[in-house]
Amino acid sequence: MRPIERDLLRFKEIVRGEVKKKAQEFLTREELFGQVEGRLVSIPLPQLELPKIVYGEPLGEGLGLGGPGTEGLGPAGHVPLAELELEEFLDLMGEALRLPRLRPKGEGEVTEEAFRYTTIARKGPRGLRHVRRTLKESLKRALITGEYRPEEPLLVPEREDLRYKAPRSKPRPHAQAVVLFALDVSGSMREEELRLVKTLSFWITLWIKRHFPRLERRYLLHDAEAWEVSEEEFFRAREGGGTRLSSALLLAEEILKGYPEAFYNRYLYHFSDGENWQGDTPLALEALRRLLPTLALYGYAQVQGPYGQGRFLEDLKEALVKEEGLAATEVRDREDLPLALRRLLGG
Amino acid sequence: MRKELRQWAEILRERALAAGLSFPPVLFEEVGPEEMAMLAAYGGFPRRYPHWRWGSEYLRHRETYRYGLGRIYELVVNTHPVRAYLLKGNTLLAQKLVMAHVFAHADSFQNNLAFKPIPKDMHEEMAHHAAFVEKAMERHGARSVEEFLDLALSLENLIDPHAPYIRRPEKEGPEEAEPPKRLRVRPYLDPYVNPPPEPPKEAEEGGRPEPLPPRPTRDILGFLARYAPLAPWQKGILEIIREESLYYVPQAATKILNEGWATYWHTRLLLPLLSPEEALEFAELQAGLLAPHGFNPYRLGYLLLKEVEERWDKGRFGPEYEALPIGERLTYERPTGLGLKQLFQVRTVHTDLSFLDTFLTPEFALRQRLLNPEDLPRFAEAKKALLFRLTNGGYPIVELVDANYGNRGELLLEHAYEGVELDLKKTQAVLENLHRLWGRPVHLKTSAGGKETLLSAGS
Repeated sequence: MRPIERDLLRFKEIVRGEVKKKAQEFLTREELFGQVEGRLVSIPLPQLELPKIVYGEPLGEGLGLGGPGTEGLGPAGHVPLAELELEEFLDLMGEALRLPRLRPKGEGEVTEEAFRYTTIARKGPRGLRHVRRTLKESLKRALITGEYRPEEPLLVPEREDLRYKAPRSKPRPHAQAVVLFALDVSGSMREEELRLVKTLSFWITLWIKRHFPRLERRYLLHDAEAWEVSEEEFFRAREGGGTRLSSALLLAEEILKGYPEAFYNRYLYHFSDGENWQGDTPLALEALRRLLPTLALYGYAQVQGPYGQGRFLEDLKEALVKEEGLAATEVRDREDLPLALRRLLGG
Repeated sequence: MRKELRQWAEILRERALAAGLSFPPVLFEEVGPEEMAMLAAYGGFPRRYPHWRWGSEYLRHRETYRYGLGRIYELVVNTHPVRAYLLKGNTLLAQKLVMAHVFAHADSFQNNLAFKPIPKDMHEEMAHHAAFVEKAMERHGARSVEEFLDLALSLENLIDPHAPYIRRPEKEGPEEAEPPKRLRVRPYLDPYVNPPPEPPKEAEEGGRPEPLPPRPTRDILGFLARYAPLAPWQKGILEIIREESLYYVPQAATKILNEGWATYWHTRLLLPLLSPEEALEFAELQAGLLAPHGFNPYRLGYLLLKEVEERWDKGRFGPEYEALPIGERLTYERPTGLGLKQLFQVRTVHTDLSFLDTFLTPEFALRQRLLNPEDLPRFAEAKKALLFRLTNGGYPIVELVDANYGNRGELLLEHAYEGVELDLKKTQAVLENLHRLWGRPVHLKTSAGGKETLLSAGS
């Protein structure tokens, strides 16, 4: 290994340690949110800069004369930049926050056929001819029949020498998923609570995507009624009327019909302040009893609004505590995020 | 290297020598972008001691190139022979330009007085340093050595940049016992070959004890390497960092002058050789190099040298000229043809600081539109700010005043406050590091929030 590679590896190792140390902080760093689509995540790590005795204030700008800062003049002066593959970054975050690995649901694991050209056949199309193997066969034949002359090693493949690359089908675990976010807009969500919801759904999406690269996202809002919206719309602050949690669950059930359980790992997340209309809770619980066995997870996050929170969380826990696939938690402020995230992912 | 390039290197070398430049042999090598990134991270050398910050720099250079945000055309190293690396895949014209540029750098390395005391075998020195640190890592564990390096590197600017230029007279005062003969060896070997003398026993001390250090010193790394209670390998590392910092001092201190000089010469050498097809590409390269964005040392250095050349060609110097009002200076003419001679002299005796101080005039600023005419009264102030940034490489000047502060074996440092305050957070972190090395409390006198302040660590 070249020395510089050794230094680079060590730097990356330090960066990994730093990312893990700062995982909680990164959880709420919104500038990261813009980077999800990219392959790389870059994070400035000023804490890795070696301290030096330097001037504090920028040295006076001198008219148009410009002038160098310490950068470019002193022997150092760049803030170290961590650049990580998104997957690696997520794994580090996952490790630090102890996020659970997601498993495809159910015993009869859904599989799909995947073809890989890993074998050799005697028949096949010309385009898949395997030249090395063909010549090897030819050579073998020539050696056996004594036609081979080392001083003039000419090989003429005959029909039976021809070899072709051939596919072999391999069952692969099926990795498709859908995640559905439902948000209660009945009046108590302000910017601050919405931000918590946004942060949570951002990381939930990333983490599910880490395990199921083919992930579809759907968003719905509800007060007493539920309706589907775009992702952008979902995160806009707004106020609505009363609350019927069941409306969201029924709509979710409807939407999920488009994603058959046999082919999809289905995730449903529900954010609410828990102030449900009294008569509605039994309806919601009943809908959930129907839904739960078909879901990979039902995550319910009760967000503390300015008027406190309702009792749906308690009702939910009481009624369905024994059911599998229920992940319920409450979120009051940023401090709760790491734990809430872990809980919501089933940890 | 390609034959064509070698031929051009020869042509340019001859032309450079004929034009009056003088330089040691120059070895050119073409390298790919990754290797260039490595060399840049290592400060121009193929081998440095193991440390993660090279990795961090390497990553930065590599990514900058990969995303097309910038490329390093050339890297030249002050050794004998001079090593120059060219970026593979550049056009022939770009390589020619770079080679002509390099010959002028090599001329500066050889002739500018700032480079006089700088060792010319730094290739080997750096490799020795690497071997020393690697060995220490094997013996004492990579992590503990790395931790020490982190501490020591945060002190790397606490050197006396003038140290290589100073020859102190032999010790004055009453004859002392003949000091043991010191063998001249590499600095990091020094503590092994020439152990420090036993400290005098208290009873023998008598009279007044010698203060330590005898006079305030900026060479804090050197002081620690001699007196801090450290293991030999730790002292060796301090010496290594000190020596490498000193090596880079003249390079940093002559950046504007050197880049200006090299740009002046590649322009002058190459212009007569351009074919019509090359002219446009040359103009593009030149425009990129001299672009007026931010602070561009190439631009300032080049323009200022051209100014000096013109002034001395037209006799715009001397008391008669100086006495003229500014308006008349712009048109004054007394042909002397001394321009080139003056340029060579400037290249020999100046660093950026004295170069700008001497030649950055209001006339120049006006002509180059660095300044609007109505801002003329603020010129002196702006120039002062610029010179301040160039002083001591832009670092604050810090002296070690007393190593037995309060008679408690504590270190007292003093910042030469000149109107700009320190970054207190970083300074405090450095003091903590210093305290870990010295083992006793450490103080720094400076000015913060407009008042004299004593920062302390460890007390």
